[in-house]
Amino acid sequence: MAEPTYRGVVGVAREADLIARVAAGDRRAFEELYNLYHRRMARFLTRLTHRYDLAEEIINDTFWVVWRKAGEFRGDSQPSTWILGIAYRKARNAFRSAARLQEKNLAVTPEPLTNEEPFSTEELRDWLGQALEQLPMEQRMAVQLCYELGYSCEEIAAIMSCPVNTVKTRLFHARAKLQKLLPRLAGAAAPRQTGGTA
Amino acid sequence: MTTSLHHEESWLLLPWLANGRLSQTERARVEEHVRACAACAQELALQRLMCQALTEPERVTYAPGPSFRKLMQRIDARPGTGRSEARRPGRVHGLPSAAFAAWRPPGVAFAASFVATIGLALAGVSAYQWSRPVYGTRSDVTNAPAGVLHIAFERSLPVGEVEEALRTAGARVVEGPGASGIFGVSPAGVTRPDAQEMHELARRLRSDARVRWVEPLAGAPAGAPRPGSP
Repeated sequence: MAEPTYRGVVGVAREADLIARVAAGDRRAFEELYNLYHRRMARFLTRLTHRYDLAEEIINDTFWVVWRKAGEFRGDSQPSTWILGIAYRKARNAFRSAARLQEKNLAVTPEPLTNEEPFSTEELRDWLGQALEQLPMEQRMAVQLCYELGYSCEEIAAIMSCPVNTVKTRLFHARAKLQKLLPRLAGAAAPRQTGGTA
Repeated sequence: MTTSLHHEESWLLLPWLANGRLSQTERARVEEHVRACAACAQELALQRLMCQALTEPERVTYAPGPSFRKLMQRIDARPGTGRSEARRPGRVHGLPSAAFAAWRPPGVAFAASFVATIGLALAGVSAYQWSRPVYGTRSDVTNAPAGVLHIAFERSLPVGEVEEALRTAGARVVEGPGASGIFGVSPAGVTRPDAQEMHELARRLRSDARVRWVEPLAGAPAGAPRPGSP
């Protein structure tokens, strides 16, 4: 698989070094690592949960684990995959304990989003946010990890602790639902035709 | 030389062609199929549009400082997680048994006076507690940092609008939001705001209909509380 487009090898080595220093109890390194990830995770998790306070809680739960388990990081995966993997499990637990959100995810009755006005990029993003809200949590997470954070299929599988084919299937179903929910989005790309597998 | 993919296989890989994370070999194979397949070409355009929409620069500025401080407080509050931290004073139930072993009542009279003293102290504390109101307000903050206003917006307000409202009023977030959605804000670009600057900021924020309430923290140099505010 190709290297991440948003971060070079130097960045990965830097993060691995920070984790090693965190394992030794270096608080400055911990703060630097936290600041490196906070923006990305805050955006990702706020979009996922629609609550900044919950996103912040998940970020801090994640870095609480990073602080305690940094010594166990052996570099078998990229630092970002390791940290996002922890965040994924924390977010999943938060969702499971939030009965309201769980009910919402179980009862997926998506309504097509319609709008006769031409949309801007911001509007498109807002639409996409609304559409993502109607996806089950696992599919939404896969969509965001792929489109928003730019992870490869193998990296998403490592973060979500599932087989690569499961990631592809989750994305496949998510895309099918988004197609129904975003007629304007589809129309902007090109006239829709039938495609893909069942 | 590449081997072309089946349509189904290509279709599954399109999200990663759009986000640029396919290997060279896979990319070449998917691109070869896409050139010959109108449905995949349309889907690829859609995938790229979605990538673009989700990677647009964020309108919201996240401030990691307050969150990090909360995390460090949490780490420091848990024994054994601070690594290099010094030993903290133990709670009553955690007193070493040697401390109890060393303590011996010097006599019945002393013990009686000791019990009486404790009783009076407890009665005093209890009376003080009863004299206090059972409710709390947002301004009941001890150790309140100077130059901070507490502010709450309509809960349904999009994050982008919150940011816009704060920017328009010339405020920057220095705390929160907490579980109840309350932020701590200060005048932007001012390290140590004086009473006049805090008063002006409170006035500007209160003039915004999207703001539910603005209150200075106890002891903070801001204007008088708005009547009817919590």
